[in-house]
Amino acid sequence: MYRYDEFDAALVRERIAEFSDQVDRRSSGALTEDEFKPLRLMNGVYLQLHAYMLRVAVPYGVISSRQMRRLAHVARTYDKGYGHFTTRTNIQFNWPALQDLPAILSDLAEVEMHAIQTSGNCIRNVTTDVFAGVAADEIEDPRPWCEIVRQWSTIHPEFSFLPRKFKIAIVGAPKDRAAVRTHDVGLQIVRGEDGQTAFRVFVGGGQGRLPHIAQEIAPAVPGQSLLAYLTAILRAYNLLGRRDNIHKARIKILVAAIGIDAFRDEVERQFAILRQEDLRIPDEELARIQAYFTPPPFADLPATSPAYDAARRLNPEFARFTRSNLREHKQAGYGAVIVSLKPIGGVPGDITAAQMDVVADLAARFSFHEVRASYEQNLVLPHVRLEDVHAVWSRLREAGLATANADLATDIIACPGLDYCSLANARSIPVAQALSHQLADAALLEKLGPVRINISGCINACGHHHVGHIGVLGVDRKGEEYYQITVGGSPDEQAALGEIVGRSLPAEEVAPAIARALDRYLEIRNDGELFIDTVRRLGADPFRTAIYELTDAAA
Amino acid sequence: MKLLTANRLNDGRVIYLGEADAAVEAIDAARILDADAAEAALTLAQSRPAVFVNPYLIEVEDRAPSGRDRLKERIRSVGPTVGHSLDFAARNETP
Repeated sequence: MYRYDEFDAALVRERIAEFSDQVDRRSSGALTEDEFKPLRLMNGVYLQLHAYMLRVAVPYGVISSRQMRRLAHVARTYDKGYGHFTTRTNIQFNWPALQDLPAILSDLAEVEMHAIQTSGNCIRNVTTDVFAGVAADEIEDPRPWCEIVRQWSTIHPEFSFLPRKFKIAIVGAPKDRAAVRTHDVGLQIVRGEDGQTAFRVFVGGGQGRLPHIAQEIAPAVPGQSLLAYLTAILRAYNLLGRRDNIHKARIKILVAAIGIDAFRDEVERQFAILRQEDLRIPDEELARIQAYFTPPPFADLPATSPAYDAARRLNPEFARFTRSNLREHKQAGYGAVIVSLKPIGGVPGDITAAQMDVVADLAARFSFHEVRASYEQNLVLPHVRLEDVHAVWSRLREAGLATANADLATDIIACPGLDYCSLANARSIPVAQALSHQLADAALLEKLGPVRINISGCINACGHHHVGHIGVLGVDRKGEEYYQITVGGSPDEQAALGEIVGRSLPAEEVAPAIARALDRYLEIRNDGELFIDTVRRLGADPFRTAIYELTDAAA
Repeated sequence: MKLLTANRLNDGRVIYLGEADAAVEAIDAARILDADAAEAALTLAQSRPAVFVNPYLIEVEDRAPSGRDRLKERIRSVGPTVGHSLDFAARNETP
């Protein structure tokens, strides 16, 4: 993985010194909250319902075992013993004291972590495919390009005060495992006509109050020109994006307002007048960064492991785990293990300090010291020998991290909601927990197959409810929590926004209603048809009927 | 009736204005304010920015938050209703 050079290290060190001074001045009263707020936000510090919250960047979701141990240390020393992985693959600490923030950031800097650009109207943490460098369908590993975009966008003077926040995701395969079309800019690696690396570029996606699926703006921007093209997009947005209305300030509103063709014209106009030579990525620099992401020293193994196969035969619970939480690796004899942060009845994305240490130890011992965070709020041990999967599973199971539910119905994505967030209208976590209990039966989960359920506590959509196969949105009805259900959303290469099925439901009715919708799916699906494909074939109506069956009968 | 609430500067925790103008953590220790006292309390809290961050008034009935934001204020007063912070509180409770 990438290691800081002297510029990175100096930049982070200088920022901590600057922020420490700002914290001191805030503590002494020299800075008011209004003056301090934009400064703390530039360093990932929010003031939530109960306390300050620190959001730490996990660049493109890659964490070393050493970094994971340090996150555990932060959770234990400065917080209440846990952290929360977000849909941007960052980690949030919910209880730090103001005066501890400089010490936390110093501790994190020692392991090359920081909180810069995890909030504010700037380019946020770039996300990617959690199986980057692992998946066999990959054209090219997207992580070096993520790192290039990270370096370019970090404290970029022109793009530090955009009309609104700006999110970029990059995938290296035709299969979209990073939801690129829900981003302000989504990048998909393709082969250009010359056979070289190029990027299919999508622009204007986003969720929130006014959701949009991104549209293609360019089919194949050459890799060398990527930063120039991104600069042209950001420049067009920075100049034309609205600053008078926070709800209309994202690039999605601009693209929708003037149309993709007019926006493309503007980007091409900007592209033509850029100093391209300054933004061209030198071959030697690309090679230098790519070298950080060369595959680890894999052993030359046969494609199958008799020990692994025997363990699967002997232990049905282990076999179930491998069916749901083990993904194929392009290296023979290896697999990628999904560490579930979705225990039945748990808080999606939460992980205790003790669990972080377990994951760090397993990564050190079995996965070349590497962990990944997924936008689905799980972790991944990307490079595990098949013969070691049983040992990994046993330890994860002891630690409560081996729920066999990756991509299944209890792998629920949820924001912190009104239990923590000052923006939320309703709680997300208790609804996720009720649903998790309702669908807990492992055999049922497998029978249902992949179903993505997303829950957001407000229209800002941090739980990505618009693109859940089933989405749940918390709304406030005269001070009571109600939940609006959508069906048919999808975050992948067939990205779509879900359709609202009808009136919102009180909290206690949500889990049974969704369970009825899933029962209906089992009744009406064709052989082998996935939930989302049944929705695509038949529309939302059968599910709408199931969701309101009992409430309509009672009315 | 009303209470004055804010977040505390040094750790962000939820606080209320209590008796003798003290900042208290427990909603049960908050001073109940009529309309005139509420305005005075708000002015007082705004004049003490080293303690009270973003002070505002909430409606209560018998110290229980009422009004449109009653759920949010109830959660602010007791902490998250679920999750690891409850385990932390249980571990750190003095017997």
